[in-house]
Amino acid sequence: MTIAAVEAVDIGKAYGGVAALTKASFTASAGEVHALVGENGAGKSTLIKIMGGRVRPDTGEIRIGGQAVSLAGPQAAHQLGAWTVFQELTLLPWMTVAENLLLRQEPRAFGLIDRKATLRDADALLARFGVMHIDPRALVEDISLAERQTVEIVRAVSHAPKILFLDEPTSSLVEREVEWLFGQIRRLREQGCCIVFTSHRWAEIRSIADRITIFRGGQDVGTFTDIDEDEAVRLMTGRRVEALYPAMSPAPDDAPVMMEARALSGPNLRQVSFALRRGEVLGVGGLAGHGHRELFRTVFGDAHASGGTLSVQGKEKRFRSPRAAIASGIALVPEDRKSEGLLLRMSVRDNASLAILKRLTRFGILKPQEERRAAQHVVDSLRVRTAGIGLAVGALSGGNQQKVLLGRWLETECQILLLYDVTRGVDVATKHEIYELVVALARDGHAILFYSSDAEELAHLCHRVLVMREGVVAAELRAPGVTAEDIVSAAVRDHRAA
Amino acid sequence: MLCLTDPKSADVHKKRLKAKTIRENTSEETTGGNLTMTIQATRRHLLQTAGLGLAAMPLMVARPSFAQSAGKTYKIALSNSYIGNKWRLEMENVFKAALQMDPFKTEVVGSIYNSGNDVSKQSQQISNMIAERVDAIVMDAASPTALNGIIHQATSRGILVVSFDSGVTAPSAIKVNISQYDLGKGWAEWIVKQINGKGNVIMVTGVAGTEVDLDRNKGADSVWAQNPGIKVVNRFTGMWDSSTAERNTAAVLPSLPKIDAIWCQGGTDGVLKAFISANRPLPPTAGEAENGFRKMMLGIGGHTVTGYSAGSPPYLSLMALELARRILNGSYPKKNIDVPNVFLSNADLKLGVNVFADQPDSFFDDFTAGGPTSPVDICAQAAIDGSACTDQKLIINLPAA
Amino acid sequence: MPLPETILAASGPRRSRLSHALTQNIGLALVVALLIACVILYCVLYIVTQHRLPGGFELTSTLNNTMPLAFAALAQTLVVLTRGIDLSVGGVIDLTNAVAALTLMGGPVSTTLWTIAILGIGALCGLLNGVLVAIGRLQPILVTLSTLSIFQGIAIRILPQPGGAMPPGFTGVLANPNVPLSLIYIPIIGILWAIFRRTPLGVAVFAIGNDAMAASSHGISVKRTTILAYMLGGVASACAGLFLAANATAGDATTGDTYTLTSIVAAVLGGVSLFGGRGSGLGALFGAFVTVMVVNILFFAHIDPLYQTFYEGLFLLAAVIAANVIGQIVRRRR
Repeated sequence: MTIAAVEAVDIGKAYGGVAALTKASFTASAGEVHALVGENGAGKSTLIKIMGGRVRPDTGEIRIGGQAVSLAGPQAAHQLGAWTVFQELTLLPWMTVAENLLLRQEPRAFGLIDRKATLRDADALLARFGVMHIDPRALVEDISLAERQTVEIVRAVSHAPKILFLDEPTSSLVEREVEWLFGQIRRLREQGCCIVFTSHRWAEIRSIADRITIFRGGQDVGTFTDIDEDEAVRLMTGRRVEALYPAMSPAPDDAPVMMEARALSGPNLRQVSFALRRGEVLGVGGLAGHGHRELFRTVFGDAHASGGTLSVQGKEKRFRSPRAAIASGIALVPEDRKSEGLLLRMSVRDNASLAILKRLTRFGILKPQEERRAAQHVVDSLRVRTAGIGLAVGALSGGNQQKVLLGRWLETECQILLLYDVTRGVDVATKHEIYELVVALARDGHAILFYSSDAEELAHLCHRVLVMREGVVAAELRAPGVTAEDIVSAAVRDHRAA
Repeated sequence: MLCLTDPKSADVHKKRLKAKTIRENTSEETTGGNLTMTIQATRRHLLQTAGLGLAAMPLMVARPSFAQSAGKTYKIALSNSYIGNKWRLEMENVFKAALQMDPFKTEVVGSIYNSGNDVSKQSQQISNMIAERVDAIVMDAASPTALNGIIHQATSRGILVVSFDSGVTAPSAIKVNISQYDLGKGWAEWIVKQINGKGNVIMVTGVAGTEVDLDRNKGADSVWAQNPGIKVVNRFTGMWDSSTAERNTAAVLPSLPKIDAIWCQGGTDGVLKAFISANRPLPPTAGEAENGFRKMMLGIGGHTVTGYSAGSPPYLSLMALELARRILNGSYPKKNIDVPNVFLSNADLKLGVNVFADQPDSFFDDFTAGGPTSPVDICAQAAIDGSACTDQKLIINLPAA
Repeated sequence: MPLPETILAASGPRRSRLSHALTQNIGLALVVALLIACVILYCVLYIVTQHRLPGGFELTSTLNNTMPLAFAALAQTLVVLTRGIDLSVGGVIDLTNAVAALTLMGGPVSTTLWTIAILGIGALCGLLNGVLVAIGRLQPILVTLSTLSIFQGIAIRILPQPGGAMPPGFTGVLANPNVPLSLIYIPIIGILWAIFRRTPLGVAVFAIGNDAMAASSHGISVKRTTILAYMLGGVASACAGLFLAANATAGDATTGDTYTLTSIVAAVLGGVSLFGGRGSGLGALFGAFVTVMVVNILFFAHIDPLYQTFYEGLFLLAAVIAANVIGQIVRRRR
């Protein structure tokens, strides 16, 4: 084997006494795509931050091109040809895409930054990497998460890196964008670049990675060139996951209808009708941008329908705000838990009790014991892995954050749960726990509207699946017998015909 | 400002606005003349009746104060800076009242503007007065120098500028003021006489760095220099504020020997209250014209002090107004005026004339000099709420030209 | 280089350049609209009450009275963009005003040199603030509140009693009382701002206001940028002190105090976000003019003196709310 492009040797890192990495090592060479996999909290992100120069390790050594290096900051890594796309994006929100892409290397005219040329160069740069759908004039704040991720990737790739670290680059991308990214990765590989990335999507890892290093509990447990998913999951979690998906509860065909939409219309939403029964998991699928988000927002009172009716437990409702929806026993767990649900700097306790503060107060004063009890209940019943309920939620792994958010709503004793892509960016073991929870909640009599970008999930968990296309329910598929392929083909049928 | 709402008060205010509307059509009242309620009450209602005030705005807009100038000879505007203390309120109130009384009622159209301590705002208001082509500007300035530019602009356009109280250095402005030096000196001389030139004195000074404070202290020091028997045992600031003066006095008092006399620039009642709290006898006191001090001179409230009361009078605004009118009609030369100090001893005080039992301690009793031969004679009501005196009597005697 | 396999194609036409420019400069657009509305209202009131049009004097005096605030607002903007706040603006104005009153009466050469020295004093004041904030890692609000008192104290020590004088030539250039010469300072500020925006420092100031951590990961020195932003702010405050002295034709070591608050008001009216990273110096300049126009409008509306500040507050509140609502509508309609 040729000399290693990048090497991590026995890296250790602790945050406030909690070890994120204990003795993590791996080696990747030039012209290789190397995947780092593991559960959330296994230390992959910390390792990438260390190699990207953002975090200094406590112990161990990073070697680049065979030389031990001490990275004082991201700049130092850049000088060695190592570029990183961190999970927390580093774009400047109130500046344009062009300004972000060319930050610190803007074209000049008469010593001053030439804004026209900046736009032109940014446009050319995006085009060079096959990104035509992003307007360099747009503010970063105004483009979608996936587009931001794309810009961030273009920015890193534009420097012709020798080593490229990507931390969960696909978590916010849809299929076509993932395809685009993999095209870029392959091209870089051909040029001799070493690409190190993390992902939770096994299919992606299989399709692009040359080698895989599996991490568990802050340590590497092995590097493989060929490994099947079951074996990988066993190594990641330390136990064999026989079936990722729990058995579905029986279809509650004659249970009372909890929520019914009739001909709901609005922006990107046309004549959507469905009935959601007690104990039912009703899936919503389809390609991104075809009205799922709008459907969930409308049902949750966050967007206003221009036509049609919505009734909850037989009563017609017109929610003017999420507050009104919550009062009717509806809860929404969003995908982007950081910006839409959790207060990262506040404790698990505060976050878990946020939705039920009213119940926990007497004369406007919080009863701390009851708050603690409620929070502990969330932590226990959902098996949230945390050092204590006083810990800031931001310090938990993504899957555990998602559980806190879910638990918060369960404490409200809501009847109708809207789950919007809750497993995105969550590791296998936590996914499994969330699936079990969904099934248990349905068995308990909750009515669940479940959107997922993962068709496999929909096929395995839902009693029925509504496939949306261009704001319309294009197909309703009924379990058992629904496969992921059925869902995908229903979602794209017209596109193929066209 | 947040008071419980008296349900009646909103009604009163409504009526007042209504009265205002009617008056606009019928009378020739000036801007200031419409203020018939006490200032305190008006301010209290300000927030409560915000909505009404808003509704009234178009009315106000439709009522340019100089539109009714037919028959009147002069436009005179008062440009005041800070309006947050009793003294400034009284100063403005007597000005408002005067505008509703002869000779000003028939000869002068007046208007009043407050800028706070914001120099650029006062400067901008004065430039608007210039644009409005007023005949004279009477001003209590936010800065002695910072308005010189705009004052020069006004005077070079033939507008008479009369400054009073917080004076200005602009040479083209006419100044109306008392001699602060003489005030400090007068207080000190009285003390020397009271204690026969021998004894311990404390000096409670004013806001450091101001000319007024400096001059008053200089006046006193000139007297102490002549009388070696007087020992100034302590000198501290009272910031011209009763509560500050009381606090600072209470702080130093335990360390002081027997005090034979007090020389105080302001907050005099506060200084005396500190003496009372410390169970000290009240020595002869020379101080400002606060109602609280004068009440004690009359023995109201159980303690009596031998006092000598004088101050910078709120009626300076009237002297300035009258001077402006007289200069404009050619009956007085264009020159600065030194307003004489009026010192009152215990024997000069009379309840209801220059001491007021029903007014707060912080009220300044020298809104009038008292008596038809004095510089200014005006009723108490004018100082309290800016309304015209019932007998329509307003006497302003400028010093002989 | 071969084209990559997958191309992320555009799904529709791009928004027009104008539409981008408008939504990204909505704060600036709104303050311009507000200023125009104020000027129209002022003219209407003026004509109704005075039966004639405002003329050269009104323009000149409004300009001369606004320039100090305009520079103070610019100073505030430079610091606020870094997600800081500069309460010492008033103190720097006091100090530079005081020094100006004592030093500028000399020959033209001496006046010029002292003017430069006074700008240097402003820069030093900013340096002190910047170092304490960036290297001392102290809260900007605490640092500048303390330095405000320090600068005020030095100013009063230098010029205990208001006084001094300005050479007529100096006033003639900075605050000419006879012709609206100050009009030229508006395009000058505009051009200087455009240049600043196109320097690496300008980009860095905006970048650290957006996200200091992200900016530093791209090699922008947060410390250096912060210090320079405070220094530039200090120079702008010194300009405010000089214009104030020129307009007053004398010095007073306390007249700058009010600018601390009014500079923040003007900057916010001008669309500068107190959360940093968004705004424009030009907007702050127009914001300064709006606040002065409000004084003019209330003057000619002949509001009862006790209600003047009340209406001023109401007017500003209404303006801010209107700007916010319009801004949100424009953004939503994208």
